[in-house]
Amino acid sequence: MSVSLELNNVTKIFSKDSEKFCAVDNINLSVEKGELVTFLGPSGCGKTTTLRMIAGFENPTSGSILISGKDMTNVPVNERAIGFVFQNYALFPHMTIFNNVGYGLKARGEKDADIREKILKALSLVDLNGDENRYPNQLSGGEQQRVALARVIVMEPSLLLMDEPLSNLDAKLRIYMRTEIRRIQQALGITCLYVTHDQSEALTVSDRIVVMSRGKVEQIGTALEIYSNPLSTFVADFIGQANIIPAVVDTALSDNKGNIVCLLPGEKSVKARYYGKNSLKKGDNLFLVVRPENITVEKVGKDLLTGVVKNCIFVGSHVEYDLLFGEKYIVKASIDFKPDLKLYKKNEKVSFSFDENTTLFLDK
Amino acid sequence: MQSCILSKKQEHQFLYRKDPVLFCTLIIIWTCFAVFIFYPLIRLLYAAFFSDGHISIENIKKNFINVYTLKSLINSLLLATAVSICGTFLGYIFALAVNRTKLNPILKSGIGAITILPLISPPFTSSISLTLALGPNGTLLKLLGIPNANIYGFVGTWISETLTYFPVAFMVISAILNTMSASLDDAASSLGAKRGRIFRTITLPLSVPAIGNSILLLFGSSLADFATPLILGGHKFPVLPTQAYLQITGMFDLNGGSSLSFLLIIPALLVFFFQQVLIGDKNYVTVTGKSGAKSKFVPLPKTLQIICVCVASIIILFVLYLYFIILAGSFVKVWGIDNSLTLRNYAYVFANGKKAVSDTLKIAIVSTLLGSVLAVVIGYIIGRKNFPAKGFLDFSALLNYALPGTVVGIAYIAAFNNKPILLTGTMTILVAAYVFRYYATGIRSVIASLQQIDPALEEASLSLGANPVHTFTHITIPLIIPAVLTGMRYLFIHCMTAISATIFLVSARWTLLTTRILESMTELQFPQASAFSIVLIILVFAADALIGLGMKVYTKQFSGNVQKENKK
Amino acid sequence: MFKKSFTVLICLCILLPAFAKGSSDTSAATLDVYSIMPEKYATQVFGAFTKDTGVKVNFVRLSSGEALSRIIAEKNNPQVDCLWGGPSDTYDAGIKENVFEQYKPAESDKIPANYRSPDNYWTGIGIIPLCFLTNTDFLKKNNIKAPASWYDLIQPVYANGLQMADARTSGTATERIYSLVKALGETEAFEYQKKLNANVQLYTKSGAGGAMPVATGQAAAGIFYLVDALDIVNQGYPLVISYPKEGVTYGVEGSGILKGAKHLAAAKKLMDWASTKKLGEFMVANKICYIPTRPDVKVTDPALDMSKMKLIEAPSVWKGDNRKAFIDKWVNEVIQH
Repeated sequence: MSVSLELNNVTKIFSKDSEKFCAVDNINLSVEKGELVTFLGPSGCGKTTTLRMIAGFENPTSGSILISGKDMTNVPVNERAIGFVFQNYALFPHMTIFNNVGYGLKARGEKDADIREKILKALSLVDLNGDENRYPNQLSGGEQQRVALARVIVMEPSLLLMDEPLSNLDAKLRIYMRTEIRRIQQALGITCLYVTHDQSEALTVSDRIVVMSRGKVEQIGTALEIYSNPLSTFVADFIGQANIIPAVVDTALSDNKGNIVCLLPGEKSVKARYYGKNSLKKGDNLFLVVRPENITVEKVGKDLLTGVVKNCIFVGSHVEYDLLFGEKYIVKASIDFKPDLKLYKKNEKVSFSFDENTTLFLDK
Repeated sequence: MQSCILSKKQEHQFLYRKDPVLFCTLIIIWTCFAVFIFYPLIRLLYAAFFSDGHISIENIKKNFINVYTLKSLINSLLLATAVSICGTFLGYIFALAVNRTKLNPILKSGIGAITILPLISPPFTSSISLTLALGPNGTLLKLLGIPNANIYGFVGTWISETLTYFPVAFMVISAILNTMSASLDDAASSLGAKRGRIFRTITLPLSVPAIGNSILLLFGSSLADFATPLILGGHKFPVLPTQAYLQITGMFDLNGGSSLSFLLIIPALLVFFFQQVLIGDKNYVTVTGKSGAKSKFVPLPKTLQIICVCVASIIILFVLYLYFIILAGSFVKVWGIDNSLTLRNYAYVFANGKKAVSDTLKIAIVSTLLGSVLAVVIGYIIGRKNFPAKGFLDFSALLNYALPGTVVGIAYIAAFNNKPILLTGTMTILVAAYVFRYYATGIRSVIASLQQIDPALEEASLSLGANPVHTFTHITIPLIIPAVLTGMRYLFIHCMTAISATIFLVSARWTLLTTRILESMTELQFPQASAFSIVLIILVFAADALIGLGMKVYTKQFSGNVQKENKK
Repeated sequence: MFKKSFTVLICLCILLPAFAKGSSDTSAATLDVYSIMPEKYATQVFGAFTKDTGVKVNFVRLSSGEALSRIIAEKNNPQVDCLWGGPSDTYDAGIKENVFEQYKPAESDKIPANYRSPDNYWTGIGIIPLCFLTNTDFLKKNNIKAPASWYDLIQPVYANGLQMADARTSGTATERIYSLVKALGETEAFEYQKKLNANVQLYTKSGAGGAMPVATGQAAAGIFYLVDALDIVNQGYPLVISYPKEGVTYGVEGSGILKGAKHLAAAKKLMDWASTKKLGEFMVANKICYIPTRPDVKVTDPALDMSKMKLIEAPSVWKGDNRKAFIDKWVNEVIQH
């Protein structure tokens, strides 16, 4: 039923008019049965290409794709038993919803009575009973997306692939649909690969996330892992908000907690965690990464980092500060609002600090 | 990026293994092209330049560098230029009258319908009635009291060809005027622009591509027109296609005729090249039957409206008059002498013309079906697949279409009158001549149609387990049916009314209506020629209307779907 | 599996027409013919032939230049069995190219020798002198008489008023050139034609093509074979036939079997039938105005009485020998101006 997926050294190079473009660079990934793994990244990072290779619409330039241990790298699309949900739904405009959903079953040669039963079951699963005889252009975007989902589910595929399925829906619908999709996927226990550029979507639905940039995998991990322990400034910045400040190594020796000390611009020293593999020496360049919600803003104090308030925005549940630090760095802080919170005004000098347990030094 | 090294072996995976259906299809297509497109052209070039096995300089001198040939070449180019400019101008006025005036919508669709007439009738019907109307002692001249004008020569040919081809310009320009965004006019109006200014600064500049396309189309058509100059050109105004024809059929000089047709190839290919550069795949003329009555456009300034409508009306009346002559001619006993009405001409057609009618229909239907299948297959592989030498395949497919009919006809007799491939007198040679010339519109329509269809639809089908053939028949074909129907319409009309290539290929066993009409005319059987012409026009009109109806019904159902789906 | 059957289907569709060669009936009951004789006559004549013999005839009408060039081009694979009608010099030109079969029709001895090929390559089926055809309304309007001399036609009154055949495609035109050469001598003949050319409105593809325009008044006059002129006169148009005093030649309409004819037996039947009185009598009875080659067929129409015309003899072989040269000269010297 549901399967495992393995990508081994998968690479895709497009050559157009004798120019070569490397879309996917050496991906390695292992997906367990029943897992929902999301490919997350900005446009052009190679996530859709990877998904299409798994589907069979593109062939990898090198590497192999194994589904349930079998090498499917060069197997044609129609023999892979996958379900693919397209960004534009790709509903067949000249067929009714009924025939759209039943298309694959009919192509497979199943009996009409069986087909009918399965279609109605799938439609009720996505909550679309009663619309079987309408045409795609008579439905709303959200309804069309659900039909696309039903069409795929009814085939009982072992692998479900979804290419930015919600990006054409409005915000509220998107939030509703993503939980629906997750619910159905878990109910059916299908292994699912999901592509999106929306990080909140990724964080909500996934078991694990593969963050990609420019064809390469930046990091693979659960939402929590990626959020708290990003392995690169790219990941840190892409998921949630992050302050990234260049730092110079001061003491290369780490203490028993794995912390090291670096100097920030202005010669202030800061201690934070370092999980990188490189052996460091004094004077090496690193990046300090700290999230806005982990910064404390207080009165100017000795031995504390200082900054000037450039902006103070009250957003309801919290207050956001833009602090000018070291003459050119803007540090964003986000403080939970409580009624007795002291608010600092524009151009006021303040101090800010952060905990070494919630701060990271990164190599890149 | 050390993993991003390309493995040569993987890059050039054999097409044969990756996509065997495509591979087989390509083999078949290239074979057909080799036999029916390349081989005749090679034989033609051989016949033009070689004599008894070696290049003969005397032949080249005699055929190419002689005064009559050069005159023909210059005349052809001159005529083509004049016709393309005037025809485009007329077409533009008509397009404006239909799309940018406040004329009654019924009148507008009437204008649209009448301009179809010259397109679906045999190319020389208008030249014949023109002679009767404006020739020496012509009926119209008598009516208007103008003394004898000499219609033979440049003037007559130019008028006749302009009247025959301006509908093409009308349709091309109409299409652009129709699809222009009306909101541009609105924006200009809201900025205070008056009607005249809107026309000069928005409508006119935006229609330049259509004007260019129309000029090229008309230039090519006039260049290739064999029949009109045959009747109206006379000896004082020789043009290349007619001269080539006379050379071959009269002087059995395949050598000379081939040389003359070779001269035609160069301008024809140039025109074709410019069209590709200018318009690419979008220059097929779709006969959609939409005579625009969209009043959201800003109409022209009043004086311009009046001018356009007047000019259009005069021309329409004249065209109707020409066809009336033919209609009248089919019902009279003896033209000019005994004008009593009779049905005996039609009786003659049904008695003696049955073979011509059935032969023509047989060939037209077979050609239309075959041509449509080929158009779909070729259009699909060009539009959706990638394979080596794709650009060359595209060019070759359209080669016979780019060349004038005379050239193709001569090439075919040069190639197929002798071994190794003997096809004279068969149906095959006629069908091949038609299919490989007139499937061009079908191919272009299919390609354009495929461009509008999201490839995701076909991918969805594959991902649902349907194999490529099933996908093709259940998804692709239903969605491109309008394009296929357009191609079929064009094919059928041209198969029924073709003469330029046909006249070289007709035989004792296959008689065609167009050649019967031409022969009747040259044998003074004017009433019978008229009756044949009317029968032909009715047949073509009926078939055209049928296919048009089919298209309307089909597109109404879900063209809206296709467009909407993919505008996201 | 589907892929294969689909490919096969496509193959079939495309190869199918190769098998649709049209009915190739090898039975003795059909005959394929190129007819230079106009369709309206050929249809009737062949109809009579079919009635008498049961042999069906498929024919295509071509003008003589077209027919000759077709037959020569198809030499190695003749598409028809017979050539029917058309001036004898066409046949002589064809004999040079070795396209005809020798055959002596059953009653050809009853046809005078100068109306058939000495080696029995072709046999005459009708005689047609050349004549002038003029519109009588035009004559009345300009107060002149019907042209009685070649030189009448080059008068200014006929400016832009003449229609006649193009020598490249029509036997009528070549007959015209032969007449002029015989009547005026070659040099003078071509000088004359240059002047004549100035008055010509249009050269038509087929010999009779200009007759209708003369009949309707579109043209003033033209030069045609008697058969075509008489045909249109008989329809009732205001026309008059006249002959130049310098004389005209006449054409002998021929008929012959092609080498390699597929239906040889049927072809021979046609030739035999044509050599009998039946052909001549049929033509006279149906007002098909060829003068019969059988002298023993009674001619009732006075217009067909050869004694009333000034006819110049021009041996068919002489015509055949000079045909191409004259046409070339006509194209290069006469119509270029």
